[in-house]
Amino acid sequence: MQKTLGCKVCVSPGSTFLLMCCCLLLCIASTGCGGSKSIQETPPSELTASAEERKEPLPVTALQPPDPFDVPQIDELDTEAKWLDRPVRNGLVLLRESQSKEKVRGSVADALSARNDSPDLNELILSALGKLPTNEEADYTARIDRHVGGDLGSTNPIMISTSAEFDILGLTGFGLFSFGRDLEPFATSETVEQWQTSTDRMLDKVVLRDDLVWSDGEPITAHDIAFTYKVIMDPRVPVPAVRSGTDQLRWVEAYDDRTVVFFHKEPLATNVWNINFPVLPKHIYEKTWEADPTLKDSEEHVRLEQAPVCGGPYEIVERKRGQQIVLRRRESWSSVQGQQVRDRPYFKEVRFRIIEDPNTTLLALMKGEIHEMILQPEQWTTQTVGSDFYERNTKVTAPEWVSFHFGWNIDTIFFRDRRVRRAMSYTFNHDEMLEELCYSLYDPCTGIFHPGAWMASTKKFKPYKQDLDKAEALLDESGWVDSNNDGIRDKEIDGRTVPFEFSILVNQQPLRIAICTLLKENLDQIGIRLNVRPVESTVLQDLTLNRKFQAYLGGWGSGTDPDTSENLWKTGAMRNFCNYSNPEVDRLYAEGRQEFDKGKRAEKYGQIQEILYDDQPYTWLYWRNSFYGFSKDVRGYVFSPRGPYHYSPGFGSLWKPQQE
Amino acid sequence: MEGDNQEQISPSQSFWAESWKHYRRNPVGIIALSFVVFLTTVAIFAPAIAGTKPVVCYYKNQLYMPCLGYFNRSLESPIFTKDKFRGTYPTNLQEKDPNSWAVWPIIFQDPYRRVRENEWPGRPANPSRDQGHPNLYNLFGTDQYGVDIFAKMVHGTTIALLVGFVSMGIAGSVGIFIGAIGGYFGGWIDSLTSRLTEVVLCIPTLVLILAIIAVVEKPTIWKTMAIIGATGWTGIARLTRAEFLRLKQTEFVMAARASGAGPIRIMFAHILPNALAPVLVPITFGIASAILVEGALSFLGFGPPPPTASWGSVLNSARSNLQLWWLVVFPGLAIFLTVLSYNLVGEAIQDATDPRLREAKK
Repeated sequence: MQKTLGCKVCVSPGSTFLLMCCCLLLCIASTGCGGSKSIQETPPSELTASAEERKEPLPVTALQPPDPFDVPQIDELDTEAKWLDRPVRNGLVLLRESQSKEKVRGSVADALSARNDSPDLNELILSALGKLPTNEEADYTARIDRHVGGDLGSTNPIMISTSAEFDILGLTGFGLFSFGRDLEPFATSETVEQWQTSTDRMLDKVVLRDDLVWSDGEPITAHDIAFTYKVIMDPRVPVPAVRSGTDQLRWVEAYDDRTVVFFHKEPLATNVWNINFPVLPKHIYEKTWEADPTLKDSEEHVRLEQAPVCGGPYEIVERKRGQQIVLRRRESWSSVQGQQVRDRPYFKEVRFRIIEDPNTTLLALMKGEIHEMILQPEQWTTQTVGSDFYERNTKVTAPEWVSFHFGWNIDTIFFRDRRVRRAMSYTFNHDEMLEELCYSLYDPCTGIFHPGAWMASTKKFKPYKQDLDKAEALLDESGWVDSNNDGIRDKEIDGRTVPFEFSILVNQQPLRIAICTLLKENLDQIGIRLNVRPVESTVLQDLTLNRKFQAYLGGWGSGTDPDTSENLWKTGAMRNFCNYSNPEVDRLYAEGRQEFDKGKRAEKYGQIQEILYDDQPYTWLYWRNSFYGFSKDVRGYVFSPRGPYHYSPGFGSLWKPQQE
Repeated sequence: MEGDNQEQISPSQSFWAESWKHYRRNPVGIIALSFVVFLTTVAIFAPAIAGTKPVVCYYKNQLYMPCLGYFNRSLESPIFTKDKFRGTYPTNLQEKDPNSWAVWPIIFQDPYRRVRENEWPGRPANPSRDQGHPNLYNLFGTDQYGVDIFAKMVHGTTIALLVGFVSMGIAGSVGIFIGAIGGYFGGWIDSLTSRLTEVVLCIPTLVLILAIIAVVEKPTIWKTMAIIGATGWTGIARLTRAEFLRLKQTEFVMAARASGAGPIRIMFAHILPNALAPVLVPITFGIASAILVEGALSFLGFGPPPPTASWGSVLNSARSNLQLWWLVVFPGLAIFLTVLSYNLVGEAIQDATDPRLREAKK
């Protein structure tokens, strides 16, 4: 579903920051969006709507405007605080450096003629076609046609929430911060001159570059950032995603046009993510937002929605709802008064085609109407192996930290008992799912962190395998037996015999429905009845958010920081759909946030992972890796744990070679 | 005509016997009707035609019919769950009771799941992914997940026919009742029922079903049928009304009224049997269109909850890979032939029951 970010120039700050923030909130969004928070997986077509729904219930803390703050003078700050310099980087430069150290596995011609049917050839394609261009190699007049699975809800960057919005607003938005392939945060040198953090970690100071302008020619200043903070935190503004994280800030103050200081409430390891939010042009919105806090109803806002003032490397030049969105490179981004001050993005024009159905999308790719797309397992294995596909395209795969699970609602009578949840994990035929339904493309998942992530536990978890005897023994032990001899297990609860029959919610995707159907078959074998209930993903969001379900099939994309998963597991947290509660886990999250030593943090999160593995509030299913089809004309794709786009440089590293 | 003399002597044939006589002379009508009868047979005996549960089995000194579990899970004896059969009968029956015997369905395949290796001793697992071409064991091939299409088609027949009959049963009852009272009483009652008919006529069935499926807690095929029925009666009501308007002027109705029959009796005992023939035609067409609507809904993914086997859902699974032609051809043909035969039956009924049409065709 999406791709995002990035300008070609590496990182556009905008994009990434958006991401970050967004993600945070994004709960829903889908697969791919960036952002530092965990992302709930939904099929692309439903992203837009779902995300909106989802964001609405906001954390209570966010609903109060920040208390008035007695802002200290800048000289006071400078005398009192000790400043530490923090990294200011360019994602594209970082990538170029790391690529120069990598061994080239083969020539471009080899890679273009290869058919990706082995891990070696996959490495070859990634290595040869993932290279950044040398001088003069790239065609700066090129256009790329990208695919998004759903339309934009809004073009206002602070309204970002779905992955389609991440993809597009990531290119048009302005931001100060980003993170690289290793998910390490930095300020982006394209917009920031200096970034410092106080030694007590309560302050972050950023000095902006002086050569930044909005697409209407007005300069971008620190006042825009402070203004945006106020708008985001105003409870009247229906900000779907960006407020979470931003609400952890105490205040944001612009001391002059270039200096902005972020005041934190607490010294946390996660503060570095909280200062990363999208930015609005103050000169445009300060006149209009008070009169129409929805930012989309008034005449002026409707006009801005159609033709927003952009601060990133691209601007929106055309928007046809449900069909396509066209972005054009903004020359005022890279050059000021005739002088080039920043790298030019490689593509002159980026056209986003909105296509919901994966099969139509594949046809469009084969016909050359789009240049990239995410491939479904079935498409990867059976529909992209012939010369009709390889004539124009090639495909690559890489690990991605997106996992899927069955969630068991612990507040229901069925799943209160840990033994029952374990029995569920033993009942399900994991091997058949991985081999048959997922075409052996996905790896088994055993817990909340990807085994390759720094925060994952060092312990090796054994993936659950089907063992019906063990499952039946656990169910017997927990009191679920067939006492009335009707073939269904039951249990007497408050004098009433309750049969073990429940529903599982799943969204309308063939693969996910097939997985639930397999679970139904497996449960039936041990005397439990399951009703599979496919629903629209908006309905799924709504029901899970309101805890009106017994079980569901869902997924999460990884956040950039393990702390972003706290709101999946902390007692009472918004996205803790399963009502999991364990004081030990709550404590470990709080400690992890206050710990600054990465090794010690990793230990805490590893412990959380171990506790959750024992408790099995989810039956973890699989890690869904990245599978992409690319046109042979496109080069420079490099994959992060968040896919090829949602980091820095992300989309910014893609380019097209000059035509001979 | 040689029958002329006879008719003068014997009592005249009833209207229905007469109609049947004419119907029989229509070869297309007969072929279509035979096909419908064939489908009905398949629907009723589906679990005996394709399934993995014995039709009848003798186990631990008792007879069971586990195949009924395909109609309703609670009809399958709990003893098999107790004895840990786990859905696999052939090997378990032998293992757990060497004296057992069983009568198996004609085709050993399951509409809801993949048949695995050696489930039936010596038989391979169903092919999956794009390898499921029609073969010896899977007559119509398998879908991407290895579920047999023939079994799905056979069990889908039950759904298709149920949808047709139940929804048109509802539509027929409602339509005839409303048309009858409108046509018979006339006046403001007629205005009321006619306006009601017009209002319902404006409701797009498909959209209404989609909306309701999104709202209801547990969407089932029965609710879909009820909606198709509750919105599909308008044509029937209009025809019934017209017939009633005509017939209430006739002598036999006047005679009935003169002898003191009440309106209900006149409407349903005297007029209705005479008005039924033209009404049968839209009902038959309605069955065909209800089957189409169900197919369309399943194709869109809004059909009965998975893993219910229905023709439309097989078509739906073809959407993701059109190269699997057997996922398109078999359910497509089934829907086409069924709808066609219902339409032909409807037309044949029309020809057979309407003397004017018969005359005109001569």
